[in-house]
Amino acid sequence: MGTASAIQPERILKDLQQLWAQMAVDQADSGGVLRACAMTLVVAAEDAADAERVRQTVGVLMHNHPSRAVILHPGGSGSVLDARIFAECWKPFGKAQQICSEGIEITAGQSGYSEVAKFLVPLRVPDLPVVLWCRGTQVLMSGAEPGPLEPLFALADKIIFNSFHVADADSALQFLRRLRARGRRVADLHWTHLTGWREVLAHLFDDRALRPEEVKGSQVTFGGPSVTTGARYLAAWIRTALPGARVSLASGDGPPGLRSVTLSTASDHLTIALGSDHCVEVSGCGRHYRSLLPLASEEALMQEELGILGPDPVYERALSA
Amino acid sequence: MTEVRNPFADPLRFERRVPECAIVIFGAAGDLAKRKLLPALYRLAYDRRLPASFAIVGNSRTAMSDDEYRQRMHDAVKQFSEDGELDEELWKRFAANLHYVAGDVNDPQLYAALKGKVNAIGQANVLFYLSTQPSYYEVIVDGIGHSHLAAAPEGAWRRLIVEKPFGHDLESAKELNARIHAVFREEDTYRIDHYLGKETVQNILALRFGNGIFEPLWNRRYVNHVQITAAESIGVEGRGGYYQEAGALRDMIQNHLLQVMATVAMEPSAVFEPDAVRDERAKLLRSIKIMRPEEVDQYAVAGQYKGFRQEPGVNPDAQTDTYAAGTFFVDNWRWAGVPFFIRSGKRLPKRVTDIAIQFNQAPLALFRSGDGEQKTRPNLLILRIQPEEGISLLFLSKEPGSGMRLRPVSMDFNYGTSFGERSPSAYETLLVDAMVGDPTLYTRQDMVEASWTVIQPILENWNNRRFDFPNYESGTWGPAEADAMIAKLGRQWRNS
Repeated sequence: MGTASAIQPERILKDLQQLWAQMAVDQADSGGVLRACAMTLVVAAEDAADAERVRQTVGVLMHNHPSRAVILHPGGSGSVLDARIFAECWKPFGKAQQICSEGIEITAGQSGYSEVAKFLVPLRVPDLPVVLWCRGTQVLMSGAEPGPLEPLFALADKIIFNSFHVADADSALQFLRRLRARGRRVADLHWTHLTGWREVLAHLFDDRALRPEEVKGSQVTFGGPSVTTGARYLAAWIRTALPGARVSLASGDGPPGLRSVTLSTASDHLTIALGSDHCVEVSGCGRHYRSLLPLASEEALMQEELGILGPDPVYERALSA
Repeated sequence: MTEVRNPFADPLRFERRVPECAIVIFGAAGDLAKRKLLPALYRLAYDRRLPASFAIVGNSRTAMSDDEYRQRMHDAVKQFSEDGELDEELWKRFAANLHYVAGDVNDPQLYAALKGKVNAIGQANVLFYLSTQPSYYEVIVDGIGHSHLAAAPEGAWRRLIVEKPFGHDLESAKELNARIHAVFREEDTYRIDHYLGKETVQNILALRFGNGIFEPLWNRRYVNHVQITAAESIGVEGRGGYYQEAGALRDMIQNHLLQVMATVAMEPSAVFEPDAVRDERAKLLRSIKIMRPEEVDQYAVAGQYKGFRQEPGVNPDAQTDTYAAGTFFVDNWRWAGVPFFIRSGKRLPKRVTDIAIQFNQAPLALFRSGDGEQKTRPNLLILRIQPEEGISLLFLSKEPGSGMRLRPVSMDFNYGTSFGERSPSAYETLLVDAMVGDPTLYTRQDMVEASWTVIQPILENWNNRRFDFPNYESGTWGPAEADAMIAKLGRQWRNS
């Protein structure tokens, strides 16, 4: 649909209207379609193949977070090359009517993202939040220099990254802190990945298995060659929750990722350790049980993040600690 | 004792913690357990809301082994789960903690056996669920009390969930409460009204008190009247024996619909905490004007569909109300003079539960409607509870083209499409609430007694008269007297 010179937001919006009108006609006899939208989700894909994966992910996300998805992927250099529209539909269990969300896929050179940012202003859905999902780790390694995605940051109410695979955790965290300091609301799927662990730990204090003042120290053990952002986050979170406890990081065996968390009292230790079958095992202080971790698929992590569009004070404290 | 804040709490991310506990279900082979309770518990396990050690102990008279009971419940969950296929791997883990104890609730040995099972499972926290015929409630509560099953170890809890009906009139409700309180404290007693667990009923509070635009209109100055309808297209479907003793007034209005009315009409609570919210609901129920005996014929209508007396198990001379409608007024400043019309019936044209708040018309008709007449139409705010959960606002809009002709249009919010694929079922919500100790959506003793007090004059009138039943055809909106009841006050039912 169109070339660089032909791409105009007004035209894209008109094409979307026509798409919906046509779908309404096509589906009239089978329950019709319902156009649903709760936000604008802009996704900066790494490349064309990644954009294809994003399309599939967006199809899953829209069940809980119907949105106008704008998928950007780099192609060639310089200006915007192409744009096309699409719709993702699903039929709720037992219902005749399909629920559909709309999308726009834009191919642009990364140097053309400032032009894309101008396009996005009219393309975002009025009065609804804009979430920017930055795929890949390159952006987190861009240091203090403004990266190619910089023009998009100003448009977003929330910017989601994923530091899971970054080699240099400290650089990634510095990048996120800088962005946060500039007033941008940021999120990191590696933090989201920790929710299951954090929930197990929090429940120990709900159950009174431990009292906060009893905990004198804590150790977060990670696998792999270097400390991960996840381990840093968890240690920071424990430190902010238990300011009186000594919190340390330790390298352990096994593949990269979190291996265990130990909380020590004056007389005992309680350990939450990664076990088999996607479980963690809790042992010590009179407790011994297994707890299932939630799904950590990209879709599941994004579902969780898209459910939090306002401030996330717990994450922000952990990031800044 | 002051609650110690958990420094690791993250309410944006973590669901409320269901503590390690067991649930003992009396009537565990019955319809409610099969259709609602086990599917809800399985779904909670599927959503990882239950601790790994969570255990279920089922009881009924039927002799069967743990494995036979597991197989029955497997089939029931498979049949009645509304969310697609059963995950067989998950079921295996879930069923490993599913136990069964056969026994008659009148037999003290049963409670000794249950106590042994609970001790063997090793759960200190136990939730008892009465899912039997109501006539067994008292004997079960007594059995729990005599066997000391209700005595929790230090720091643990024992709670009781009671299914409706909570008595069959005011006096019996008071008796039941007294028997329960001999064993369980009121704060450990959870009277379930599954309507209050429905997302859309909870959303009434969000709509009213979370938005700035509705509450200023939510009073007698702007609201003309309120209609609450709970219609079923089906008949008694094999429950004739039970239903002929209950009737629509007891089965629906006394509990579900008066609670819904209380939610629609209550004052905002100062804080969103269980007793604060329940205090306001209770205050509203106590503010409903009690009909004088001579007013009952004017403000209440009973109906029975043709064919009810031919249903299996129904007395051929039954005086049961398969339809009931009432006009209620609230004696407070907000609602003085505003009628609340409530109706519920079986074999009506369709299955629908909704609340329609009809606002006063614009004071002056400036425009012509589609038929050329110069008139206004009232705005309607419709809170749809089932089957399509959502909210609609009806208002007038200009028809396209020349001239200024107006036509009513609907602005719709649909729960399913705005919030994704699934809302938890009412039983999921309410079971979690009971396990975490949040009674906000449960009915308190004073609320039960207040709603029976409202209904009692109607019951007394209807019990002491002979109706010329049947008085409505299946597939219609009930007896003509119901239309006349509302017409006397210058209104008409929304039959759409």
